[in-house]
Amino acid sequence: MTRLGKWPVTVKVPLAVAALMITVGVIVSEQVLRRLEETQTRFLSDLSQSYLDGLSSSITPALLREDNWEVYDAIDRAKTINRGLRATETIVTNADRFVIAASDPRIHPIGSQITATLPASKFSFEAGANTASAMRVLSYPGRTAGIIFATFDTRHLAAERRDVLWALTISNGVLTLTLALAGWFLVMRMMSPVRVLTDHLGAAQDGHADFIPSSDLSKTSGEFRRLFRSYNALVRSMRDREELAIRLAEEKRLGSLGRLASSLAHEINNPLGGLFNALSTLKSHGAIEHVRERSLALLERGLNGIKDTVRTTLTVYRSDSQSRPLEPSDIDDLKLLVAPEAKRRSIRIEMINGLVEKMPVPATPIRQAILNLLLNAIAASPDGATITLTTSSDEQLEIVVKDCGPGLPDWAAEVLTATNLTPPRSEGGLGLWTTSRLVVQLGGRISIRPAEPGTEILIHIPLTRPELASAA
Amino acid sequence: MASKTELSRRAVLGSSVALLLSRHAHASSEPASERAIHFGLTPVFLTSDLELLGRLQSYLQLTTGLPVNLVERRTYQEITAMLISGQLDAAWICGYPYVAHHRELQLVAVPLWHQKPLYQSYLIVDKARDAQTLADLRGDIHAFSDPDSNSGFLVTRAQLAAMDVRPENFFRRSIFTYGHRNVIRAVASGLAQSGSVDGYVYDVVANLEPALVSGTRVLSASEWLGFPPIAARKNPPDSQKLSLLKAALLDIHKTEEGRAVLAMLQLDGFASEQPSLYETIAAKAALVAAAG
Repeated sequence: MTRLGKWPVTVKVPLAVAALMITVGVIVSEQVLRRLEETQTRFLSDLSQSYLDGLSSSITPALLREDNWEVYDAIDRAKTINRGLRATETIVTNADRFVIAASDPRIHPIGSQITATLPASKFSFEAGANTASAMRVLSYPGRTAGIIFATFDTRHLAAERRDVLWALTISNGVLTLTLALAGWFLVMRMMSPVRVLTDHLGAAQDGHADFIPSSDLSKTSGEFRRLFRSYNALVRSMRDREELAIRLAEEKRLGSLGRLASSLAHEINNPLGGLFNALSTLKSHGAIEHVRERSLALLERGLNGIKDTVRTTLTVYRSDSQSRPLEPSDIDDLKLLVAPEAKRRSIRIEMINGLVEKMPVPATPIRQAILNLLLNAIAASPDGATITLTTSSDEQLEIVVKDCGPGLPDWAAEVLTATNLTPPRSEGGLGLWTTSRLVVQLGGRISIRPAEPGTEILIHIPLTRPELASAA
Repeated sequence: MASKTELSRRAVLGSSVALLLSRHAHASSEPASERAIHFGLTPVFLTSDLELLGRLQSYLQLTTGLPVNLVERRTYQEITAMLISGQLDAAWICGYPYVAHHRELQLVAVPLWHQKPLYQSYLIVDKARDAQTLADLRGDIHAFSDPDSNSGFLVTRAQLAAMDVRPENFFRRSIFTYGHRNVIRAVASGLAQSGSVDGYVYDVVANLEPALVSGTRVLSASEWLGFPPIAARKNPPDSQKLSLLKAALLDIHKTEEGRAVLAMLQLDGFASEQPSLYETIAAKAALVAAAG
């Protein structure tokens, strides 16, 4: 039953029709054959009784005289008269079952004894058999004059039965086949909108939800048309949600950008107080040499710090739209970018940068992805924890971000490792979803490995060959 | 007379109607049965052929000018008894009843077969059977035609008497079929293993129904014997009727209608013969009577 359940409706319905038709055919055939057998038996029985009646009346006087010739002649004439009955053998015996005459005297000569057991009934015929037999005891009050045994050829009846059976089988077969084909055709037609819907739903599951074209829509009516419209509405809302998610991600990026800008301003502002102090010291005590030199050194360090901060920021947001190979310094810069956030939480960022040369992968999306992961790791880790970023390259680029958090929740892991680009259900996962999207677009994959303590998130990105990179 | 001979076949076949009409015509003057010729037939020839009977009756009526009543009975005995008792004017009987009752009977005419008033009796057996003489038939179921038939009984009976045996001892069983054609049927079907039959009838049946005789063969034929004659009482009540009948028979080959009857009987005509023709049959009857 379970196996049957897997078969498509287009097979099941014609099969059911065929099974039903075969059942009906068998029942009808059985009825027809039974009626035919009854008719044949009755017909044969009546005919054989009239044959025996005729023969009895014509042979009885001769039988009493044991006149062999008269009995034989009567049998011979009866055979000619009752041609329709096809009597193959008729034997007339006396009461002791010694043959008086038989239709074929060579088989049953005069005076031979019939030893065969008497048939149970006066007439016996089995449907489909080639012969039927009948017997008649010619008796007078207190005396048995003789017995007639008759056998009839019923091959024509058997043949008729076979013909009827064949005709029934063939007509039922043709009917069954026709109806099964009609059933298949009808179901195919009825199921075609379902197939369209199934194809579209399958595609949607793979992340390419498409509208059902209006050409298919116009072919349907009633409930299927409503179903198609509902599906198209669903696709529309899915797309809207996807677009919304992308917009949200963008906004979040802009939000973090704002946060970065404020921390950048903070970074610049921090030394500015010191620098203005140095300036006023120079103005009032610039004549004193050691004061002047200390203040100038302070100014230089402070300006250098500001210069570094400005350079890093410029590098990050310089060429979003341009494809630039990843450099080892891109990784180093990330530490500077998250440093203010880390410092706020007293979290230490440990970095093991295994990259020594330019990698043939685009820098911007990778930096963005790692930045997101680092920010997530900082958010997940308790105050004072250590976060480790390890990068290495072999056949592919490997990036490992290890935090000391309580572990990634299931929904977050699902969002992070999903290969389709469907946006997450809650807005909380947008950063992770963006990371996932960036990695998938680069042909890479994300895996999650629990660590003690915390979680390791691994990114593997294949190294693109130059021509592919240029094509991308 | 010529107009009579040119009668169409249809008119001949309608002879039964003619007979009825003629009976009506005579009814006013005297009883038709008194003027009619009552002619007895035994199963000596093919009595089953209704067309033959119709033609014979028609011929005799046209030639004698009298209604003819053909009388058939199952056995020779019945016909012989009717003839002797005067119920029949004449009858086609067998040589055996004739010699048995020769004191009361006279010969009217004797058929000519192959231009002779002679025929034979045949002993017939199954074609596949390997028997040479009558002696080989011991223990058979034997089919006789009629106990009053010469060829269908007396000849074989006399042969057995010469061997000093009786049929009931020699044969396992004897059956009487009351017809020469039936003897052939009995042997052909296997009901009887052998039979005694009129040679003339056997040959005619062999011509007309080859399939019937094909299963049989003639084991032996008797000497030539007097053909079954047409006989009448020695003192006929109406000698005029008898002479009309005799003339009609003796002249049968002279008219077309008569020749048609002869052709069906496969005979050549009728002749007037002496009682001495039946001496051989009389001798057989005497032999059988002596044997008891």
